[in-house]
Amino acid sequence: MNLKLITMLGVKVDQEIYELIAPTSTGEIAVFPGHEALVTLAVPGVISVRVHKGDPDSKLELFAISGGIIEVSQKSIRVLVDEADHGDDIIEAESRAALERAIELREKAADQIELDKAHALVDRHMVRLKVAELRRHHRR
Amino acid sequence: MASTQVLKSRIRSVKSTRQITKAMQLVAASKMRRAQEATKASAPYAEAARELLTALAGHMSVADHPLFVQRPVKTRLLIVIASDKGLAGAYNSNIIKAYTEQLQADDKAKIKNTTIAIGRKAAQFAARIKDTQILGVYQDLPDRPDGRELRSILDSVRTMFTSGEVDAVDVIYTEFISSINQAVKLIRVLPAGHDAMTDAGGATDAAYEPNTAEVLDGVAYRLVGAQIFQALLDGRASEYSMRMIAMKNATDNASDLVDDLTLVMNKARQSSITQELAEISGGVEALNE
Repeated sequence: MNLKLITMLGVKVDQEIYELIAPTSTGEIAVFPGHEALVTLAVPGVISVRVHKGDPDSKLELFAISGGIIEVSQKSIRVLVDEADHGDDIIEAESRAALERAIELREKAADQIELDKAHALVDRHMVRLKVAELRRHHRR
Repeated sequence: MASTQVLKSRIRSVKSTRQITKAMQLVAASKMRRAQEATKASAPYAEAARELLTALAGHMSVADHPLFVQRPVKTRLLIVIASDKGLAGAYNSNIIKAYTEQLQADDKAKIKNTTIAIGRKAAQFAARIKDTQILGVYQDLPDRPDGRELRSILDSVRTMFTSGEVDAVDVIYTEFISSINQAVKLIRVLPAGHDAMTDAGGATDAAYEPNTAEVLDGVAYRLVGAQIFQALLDGRASEYSMRMIAMKNATDNASDLVDDLTLVMNKARQSSITQELAEISGGVEALNE
């Protein structure tokens, strides 16, 4: 089935895949070919993509995503997210440092706007860090 | 006639100005290309959101959703997108002209007006006038916006609209039609509208989780975001193309000026040589006599 991962910055992925695991507001779902048609809300988390049947976990493609919408139909999946970063683009040490900075910002936030921003930043870097860690785990 | 020394230094200064405007022209041209690509790249996102919305409209009454509610407009929020820097031809003045027109119309219709200004030039203008209340100012946005900078604008716009604080949200921006043609445009992003499309896409008989209302909320929010983001990118592309043209004109003018000044200088030099020669031959004549 075809997967399209669409962000505001453009189409990140447009290819045939075998399996997609994605975080949604009602829990994590796995989608295989022939899944019933479904439209659901994605929450910030990790999307894992298995391109071919029988690929080991070490070959999973990982993406850190922010919230969005997942649309599944018989032959295709469309994931509409605000942001998606490929696992290969994320450097673990960097995202760990960024997460620490974000937490620090959150503690120092003076008003609601800053707090909201810091919260979003913390969420974002937590997801990114998770992707980096998962990737290391899988590749080992 | 001005002395050749003065002319020489003027030519030199015009030439160095020309070098600067030429450089600015090239920089603007390359940035314009990048902004244009970004505009194109973000189109599928808006398109997908619109398709989802159409599919949803077949399932429920979209018009009842808080982001779609039409109310009589008593207060209006304007998002004005201009640039941080000048030297972009009529880019900022066109935007400000359209903005002023809107403010005057609101004033006549007794509509209360609030503004979110994007770009320093818009902020400076909005700060000077009394007809509007400034809600927020965003400047120094990165050259390649990634949408995250819009999140706070989007959230405050949504809260204000759903709480009834404003009854409509409009965006004034410059639409990028081509590299030589841009037009100021006003779009209404809230209440969100949707035109009934016949082609509803593939997800009509899909299950919606957790429910249609929440999915609709997510879709509508993203559609509004995508519209504002597109307006921002279009504004960027227009800004750079107008700057490119303005700088090209400046470069051409500088070249013309250099040519004119060179002509004047050559004439001055020639006439001084002629005069010197006349004096010398006059002197020789006098000695021979």
